[in-house]
Amino acid sequence: MSRKKLSAISRRSFLKAGAAVAGTVSMPWVASAQAKTIKIGFPTILSGRVAQLGNSSRNSAMMEVEKINAAGGLAGRPIELIARDTKGQPQEAARVARELINTDGCELLIDAEASTGAFAVHEVARDLGILCMHTNSETSSLSADPKLRLPNAFRCARQGVHDSVIGGIYAAEIANAKNLTRWATCSPDYAYGRDTTAEFVGYLKRFAPKVEIITEVWPKIFQPDYTEAITKLIQAKPQALYSCLWGGDLTSFIDQASIYALFSQMQFYAVNMADYTALTAVKNLPPGIHSGNRYIKTFPATPANATWGDAYRAKYGEYPTNWSWQNALCLNFLSEAAKKANSTDGKKLAEVLRGLKINSPFGADGTVTMRAEDQTIVGYAIGWGTTIPKEPYVPEMKTSPWAKVFELEAEWKKQKGYA
Amino acid sequence: MNTSLRKDFAFALAGFLALALLPALTSSTALLDFVIRCAALGLFATSLNLLVGYGGMVSFGHGLFFGLGAYSFGIIMQRLGMPIPLAILVTVIFSGLVALVVGAICVRLTEIYFAFVTLAFQMLVHSLIIALSQFTGGDQGLRGGIPRPTFFGINLADHSQLYLFCAGLLVIGLLLMRHIVSSPFGYTLRMVRDNAKRAGFLGINVYRTRLTAFVLAGMFASLGGVVMSLFVSGAYPEFAFWTMSGEAVFIVMLGGTAAFLGPLVGTVVLLLLNDYVTRIAEHHGLVLGLVILFVALGLRKGLLDYVMDWRAARRIRAEEAHPVSALKGD
Amino acid sequence: MDLTALTECLSSASCMVTQVTSGFIIGMLLFLVAVGLTLIFGVVKIVNFSHGVFYMIGAYVAMTVYQATNSYAAALLGGALGACGVGIIVERFIMRRIYSANVLMQLLVCYALVLIFDDLVKVVWGPEFKAMGMPEAFRVPPLFIFGGVVPPFYLFLIAAALVIAVGLALAINGTRFGKTVRAAAHNPTMVSALGINTGLLFTAVFGLGCLLAGLAGGLAAPVRSLTPGMGFSILIESFIVTVIGGMGSITGALVGALLIGLVRTFGALGFPLFTEALMYMAMAIILIVKPTGLFGREGT
Repeated sequence: MSRKKLSAISRRSFLKAGAAVAGTVSMPWVASAQAKTIKIGFPTILSGRVAQLGNSSRNSAMMEVEKINAAGGLAGRPIELIARDTKGQPQEAARVARELINTDGCELLIDAEASTGAFAVHEVARDLGILCMHTNSETSSLSADPKLRLPNAFRCARQGVHDSVIGGIYAAEIANAKNLTRWATCSPDYAYGRDTTAEFVGYLKRFAPKVEIITEVWPKIFQPDYTEAITKLIQAKPQALYSCLWGGDLTSFIDQASIYALFSQMQFYAVNMADYTALTAVKNLPPGIHSGNRYIKTFPATPANATWGDAYRAKYGEYPTNWSWQNALCLNFLSEAAKKANSTDGKKLAEVLRGLKINSPFGADGTVTMRAEDQTIVGYAIGWGTTIPKEPYVPEMKTSPWAKVFELEAEWKKQKGYA
Repeated sequence: MNTSLRKDFAFALAGFLALALLPALTSSTALLDFVIRCAALGLFATSLNLLVGYGGMVSFGHGLFFGLGAYSFGIIMQRLGMPIPLAILVTVIFSGLVALVVGAICVRLTEIYFAFVTLAFQMLVHSLIIALSQFTGGDQGLRGGIPRPTFFGINLADHSQLYLFCAGLLVIGLLLMRHIVSSPFGYTLRMVRDNAKRAGFLGINVYRTRLTAFVLAGMFASLGGVVMSLFVSGAYPEFAFWTMSGEAVFIVMLGGTAAFLGPLVGTVVLLLLNDYVTRIAEHHGLVLGLVILFVALGLRKGLLDYVMDWRAARRIRAEEAHPVSALKGD
Repeated sequence: MDLTALTECLSSASCMVTQVTSGFIIGMLLFLVAVGLTLIFGVVKIVNFSHGVFYMIGAYVAMTVYQATNSYAAALLGGALGACGVGIIVERFIMRRIYSANVLMQLLVCYALVLIFDDLVKVVWGPEFKAMGMPEAFRVPPLFIFGGVVPPFYLFLIAAALVIAVGLALAINGTRFGKTVRAAAHNPTMVSALGINTGLLFTAVFGLGCLLAGLAGGLAAPVRSLTPGMGFSILIESFIVTVIGGMGSITGALVGALLIGLVRTFGALGFPLFTEALMYMAMAIILIVKPTGLFGREGT
């Protein structure tokens, strides 16, 4: 996507005035078409190792923007999405987010940053009071920790703790049935990896009390070589292995572990396996890996979901990622909120967003809710199943009711001192 | 007060007034943000040039002190709630102490070995920041915002006051560093750079001179880190990663090592390039890389050094052409 | 810390076999990258911070060739030659101009090259991570040696790297080219005074270094994910290896690489949280005690 720079000067002068009047009143001397457009800032990672995060997020966001604009825009105003690279550096994320608002005149922010960048953008949202939707950060504390909470920041992404509840229940069922008691974990050594693993293990042990963790390995994120982790796992001889490695790290781990025949010695539970990029990248996918769903067009098995996945594929030549559905859903939420509020004002949108329930192909029951108390999505589809090396990759997904998730999540929040 | 110091002071005052007047001319917050970022990286890069340009010590681990400054300041503000000036003072002194310990080990080495040992220490500190997550927030950084209580009627939560404060820190920091390099110590340092053996014969304690430079550079780098943490209202492990040091080395090279303001020029140019190119180009690495290649291979020296040399050469030419008038003008 | 795990392993043959071979695997790939670095530094006197680029190019080209021909031998050859070709072009048109410049200017140019090539790879092969997949011949169950697990592919990898190491040592010590290289490393002005074309020699050495990095990329491609910027992670470790072994020393690169490999595998058992820090500490200590590294010559 390239933007034309011919209007750089007029845009700046427009912005100067526009910022002063909070952007809702159109200035008489600015061409009406320009004033009518609503700009949405989209800081994300478009370069380096995780460039695919930004690419697939932007792709799906653009796809939804086109649909919304064709249907009349956000409360009558066409959307202009301005995506910009933050290179995965938090200080760049802060800078880019501020610039999108202050210079480019963006009235809303979709923060498609990951990990540290999301926290940096969160601080910008705190500073400038702009409506900010986090779409790619799965770290639970971002929305669960009341110390970090902002009235103007929402999360439209899955969360580690939700995945872990459903994963824990799923794995415990198999562990009990097959008497798998000796477990090991292999997860990336950073906050997401440690928290998600601890939560999964907690729920696994709760539902399968006989389980014990006999060894843990913590490779660094983006580590090129996992040999030492693999051999340590082989020494320990567990019956089952859990991992929340993701993306290229997961695929190299699988490639390297395969030649040690690791997967014939233990069952493998990889929460982030069922993502098309990872599934298609691994050339010799060992059969029978248990995985959570990232994005799979056959889960939920509804025509709406399949249509969306196919439309994305037709447009961009590849299947969407987990990041794609999260960003698409975010625009659906904004569009629905704007319709209800009949406005694009950030405060009014935030008001409507709290507790908003919309129909969505990504919902467990066809709907997703923006929970009011902590401003994060719930009710999205989470399932676990075993993978096969060809489409549909995960023929059968098992899931648990969200009521169960809510119950355990509430307990977890109390434990963490969040509630 | 000697004349050169007075001149520097006047120059600094003029610079600060110009920066202070900027908000009156434009209401662009982005421009003010730009100046704040320039203050952070400018202080950082200029402090590195104390080592590289004046001391001949190429450090690849200077980001250690940038990150240390950001983290110490942020942690002090979040946990102890000191007044901001006191917190800055404590941060700078603490960084100086760390620099003293690290420097005592590192400055024995020279050239590429010095570069690598500083890199090793930086990566150790980076791993520590990630490991001590109950203090530092680990890999997610220092979250929850850095509180900015009002002091002396100055409220840094207000953007224009934050801007003035950071501009003030930049000017004061640069003035102090300028004073250091034009002091007798500054000349000793240059002598050590040019010929350490001869300096030793002249009775100069080479080790102590290098160590002093290392400590001073560390302190000013931490001041840059403080400004950055005020800007992003947090601190992140990336600040202490080796890419941060790489960026500073890069800025110093781009701007020039011989002229005092070279690193500042380098900062402004790099940030302008970075901001502009990421706006217009999808493959900004490609564009940025080509620009750097042009500077490195075309000019073969930093931008400001190039300008200074060009001016010097022109003056010499002018003197050769009109020897009498040149004499008169002197 | 988990010292019991470490001592238990040290007293068990099967564990030792597994850990030592895996230490060798990590070490051997590092060696192939580091030996190029050290050769280039020794002769050309350039600290090639862009060396990771050639490892990346090697891996990507190998993957493409493998997908086209389905032959791993061709893929390795392609990766090595591809990296070598790009290396020679870079040397001829860019590196050549900065031989006399100071280390900072070299760093600047290398940084630019990293930016450019990372983006070029993204343009050619796309931003998402890729995997080459294991060649058919190596898709076999692992061997059990004294109860330790050893995958055949890794045996091949270690053997290939050892052959290269030995071949390189023989070439440097026994051939005319090797003698010139050693002489040039010692005293370049003298070599050029003797009428040897140092320009051509430098190109050859730089190309050789890139060829080895490309080969390492090709050897690593079946088991590592390919992303733009993948050279970045191996670069720092290769530098640690060269610094520990001594800049300019081939033996040093081999010993340093194996040392780092073993530190990683045994460190993972004994000090799982500090493996990374252990490497940097090893580097700092060696630099302080013997700045020229284990096998470095004084005063080069």
